[in-house]
Amino acid sequence: MRKLFFIIAFLLSLSGGVNSQVINKVPLSPRITGYTINAKLNPKAKSVEGIMEAFWVNQTTETVPDIQLHLYMNAFKSCKSTFYKESGGTPGKDPIDIGHVDIKSFTSKDGTDFLPLVRYIHPDNNDKSDSTVIEVMLPKPAKPGDTVAVSISFVTKLPSKIRRTGYNGDFFFVGQWFPKFGVYEPAGMRYRNIGGWNCHQFHANSEFYSDHSVYDVKITVPKEYVVGTGGMLLGEADVDANTKVQTWRAEDIVDFAWTAWPGYAVFTDKWRNVNIRLLIPKTRLEQVGRQFTAIKNTLEYFDKNVGPYPWPHVTIVDPPAYASGAGGMEYTTLFTSESFYKIPGSIHLPEMVTVHEFGHAYFMGILASNEFEEPWMDEGINSFLEERIMDHYWGENSGMIDLPMLKISDESISRISYARSENRQVVSNNEYSWNYPYGTYGMVTYQKTATWLYTLMGIIGEDATNEVFREYYKRWAFKHPSGKDFVNVVNDVVKRIYGDKYGPDMNWFFDQTLYGTGICDYKVVGIVNNWQNPKIKKDITSGRSMAIDSLNKSVARLERAGDLIFPVDVLVHFIDGKEIHESWDGKSRFKDYTYYGEKNILWVKIDPDFKIRMDVDIINNSMTENPDRVPLRRFSDKIISFLQFFISIVTL
Amino acid sequence: MKIFKALDSGCHRSLKAWKGVLVFWFISLCLVSMVALPMKGVMKTGLGQSAITEKLMNGLNTEVISDLGILSKGLFRYFFTGLMISFLLWLLINAFITGGLFNSLKSNEEKFNTGEFFRASARNFLPFLGITLIIGTILFLLALILIAVPMQGVISTENPDESVPWLILIISISFYILVSQIFVLVADYARAWQVKNEKPDLFRALRFGFSRTFSRFLSSFPMMLIIWLIQTLFVLLVFKIIGIWKPTSGIGVFGLFLLSQVLFYIRFLLKAWRYGSVTSLKELNDPLPVSEATVKI
Repeated sequence: MRKLFFIIAFLLSLSGGVNSQVINKVPLSPRITGYTINAKLNPKAKSVEGIMEAFWVNQTTETVPDIQLHLYMNAFKSCKSTFYKESGGTPGKDPIDIGHVDIKSFTSKDGTDFLPLVRYIHPDNNDKSDSTVIEVMLPKPAKPGDTVAVSISFVTKLPSKIRRTGYNGDFFFVGQWFPKFGVYEPAGMRYRNIGGWNCHQFHANSEFYSDHSVYDVKITVPKEYVVGTGGMLLGEADVDANTKVQTWRAEDIVDFAWTAWPGYAVFTDKWRNVNIRLLIPKTRLEQVGRQFTAIKNTLEYFDKNVGPYPWPHVTIVDPPAYASGAGGMEYTTLFTSESFYKIPGSIHLPEMVTVHEFGHAYFMGILASNEFEEPWMDEGINSFLEERIMDHYWGENSGMIDLPMLKISDESISRISYARSENRQVVSNNEYSWNYPYGTYGMVTYQKTATWLYTLMGIIGEDATNEVFREYYKRWAFKHPSGKDFVNVVNDVVKRIYGDKYGPDMNWFFDQTLYGTGICDYKVVGIVNNWQNPKIKKDITSGRSMAIDSLNKSVARLERAGDLIFPVDVLVHFIDGKEIHESWDGKSRFKDYTYYGEKNILWVKIDPDFKIRMDVDIINNSMTENPDRVPLRRFSDKIISFLQFFISIVTL
Repeated sequence: MKIFKALDSGCHRSLKAWKGVLVFWFISLCLVSMVALPMKGVMKTGLGQSAITEKLMNGLNTEVISDLGILSKGLFRYFFTGLMISFLLWLLINAFITGGLFNSLKSNEEKFNTGEFFRASARNFLPFLGITLIIGTILFLLALILIAVPMQGVISTENPDESVPWLILIISISFYILVSQIFVLVADYARAWQVKNEKPDLFRALRFGFSRTFSRFLSSFPMMLIIWLIQTLFVLLVFKIIGIWKPTSGIGVFGLFLLSQVLFYIRFLLKAWRYGSVTSLKELNDPLPVSEATVKI
């Protein structure tokens, strides 16, 4: 009993409130918001009952008259929500299928009832049937330095169709589940002219934006359930014979999600001081090693090329196949991967998802950009890092698929998705996430961004690119950077390394790629080899033939067929093996490289090292007088063999 | 014992009918070339004089293929259409040529006669086509019943144990392979019977096929399994060789072509071996004609 008393006292001292430090010695972020939640999972009702105490500190110099909170779960209330209107489909009609959050009580710290003051607002599109954002006009406006502390009792019913969050049978993934403060942005922050709350509705094509917070969460679940969260487990105690309560603590993260399922097997590993916890279905144990390798590689790469991972813990959740809707999502110190039973080691999908989702710990976890408004800053930048990591650790040409007959790099998938999209010029990256028309969100946000970042790396080099990310981390970790802040970092770093080599700044690059919709296409249009005065002249008096003074002229003809202008390398190869490197600023529509006195040109290549990944057609980047047809003949041989075997196998 | 006798006899018969197998191989090559060569032409047009082909040296490059743009879409469409057309055409050609092949396999003594080969092909075409279509339909329906339905059932139950669908799939496919060999045997017996019969009679042939399969099940079915196993191992080996070998010179590519065609010819010989073995087994199980029986007594 005495021992128990000391343990409880110790735990209480650890979880001594959201203002004290438990995980890191010093706070990594300003304490703007904090949440203490007592949550109880009701597996039968598929709901979570919560009592929450939360605060928001007005750290601005402005007086704020209201508070705004997200009620994300209401997106799953009916097909009339903004989320479902945009995505199509329906959460279902049955009460057990739909998801919603019901606020039972809402008071201020001094006991003022806020419930009558709650009003649903629709800041994005005035969609009155949406109920994912509430506003409370404060009885007393919050002055600079004031803390608005609230106490909310709520019940969150989880939806049956898992779209990041929800349940299936006894599996639960509990995300976007509690009333959560928006971000108050004072004038001058990001693109703000006047201060105000940034609290968008829950859209189909959007994610989230939050202040870094401290979470103290107690979770009560039936004893057989295995729980995973983005926090650090401080303690566990029995409530009764059938239930247990776990105390979790998380610091400086932008969201707190958790999962509970009796079918998880738990594995742990360590990378330096980071404790890695993996929750995976018991039947999928052959994937454990792959997941640990993937995250360790990612930690190593980010640590070296971006910045240190500042938490001593991370949790990977690999959900079961029948709950795959929860897979591939990030909550900073907890993320969900997506492997499959018996997925072959040559297909690196589980690794790719793990690398990508962990990467979000940096790109919007630490560098907390606004995913609603500038989705390229998290998904696009993170895809770029993911592709570099995949191709670095799993093979330059086989980062994604490594079969004997087919190898595909992760980066090439992005480039193909962008370059071959019919909608690649419809919209730029400079768009709110829900405004992307006809299915362009994924292609523009993920793939186009990654492709232009590769192009940037092709121009400024890998070392300078890594320096950009290190500097970006240094300046903006645990803050809210905007797109222009990232551009400024690039400008400063490039200037520092290269001076004026690329002009006074790199805005010319971002104007074309980030803010533009043009395409890049450089092509070789011809090779001309001919002799000036090639004729043999006959001497009239002697009757002898004599060669007149002649000179070989060879020309490489190039064209800029696209709108985008990048400096490109040109490599000209002559029949005697001589090669000449040219640097073309890429500006003019046509460019001839003319050589006198050289041998004939055998081939010409624009961008021979494929640095300009935005070029939408790499076939026309080169031309040769002697094309190698061996691969084509081999291709045709293999097609013939395949078809012969096919018809012989499928007929009797 | 009968099984090995039949397999041995089937081997001799198929080797004797090598010219018939050559016809089989040649027609198949012509047929698939009609699909493959235009595809090569499309790629040649798309790549033009580009030096990008060096990126194809190590095998298919998804970026190069995709950058063919509209041509790559056409290429895929053409490939799948070509696959379907070759399959349908081969169904007819196969029904035609197997008539001749079964005919040349029906005796261990007779020499191969090209004229007789094609005459028998023409004579047996319709019943052979009928047998192919009926047994083919049965095999298709069996695939639905034995693989697709159980898989659909197991997926829709959303069993948390992920090994269950995998296990069901393996069991379903294994069971399908076993059951399908019974129907392949029915088709082979029916065709062996048909070539012995002067008049085309599809349904009597099938009746014979079914009755002989089940009346001599213990001797015929294991034989089919042995042949299936050897053929499958051979096909896997061929895919391994052809898939991995990436010659980078003109001579190497020609070598690949020759090797693949030799392997494909062997594949046809193995098929003829199956036909010959089933024909031989049928003969071993047939009651002797009265005159021969008398002589033996």
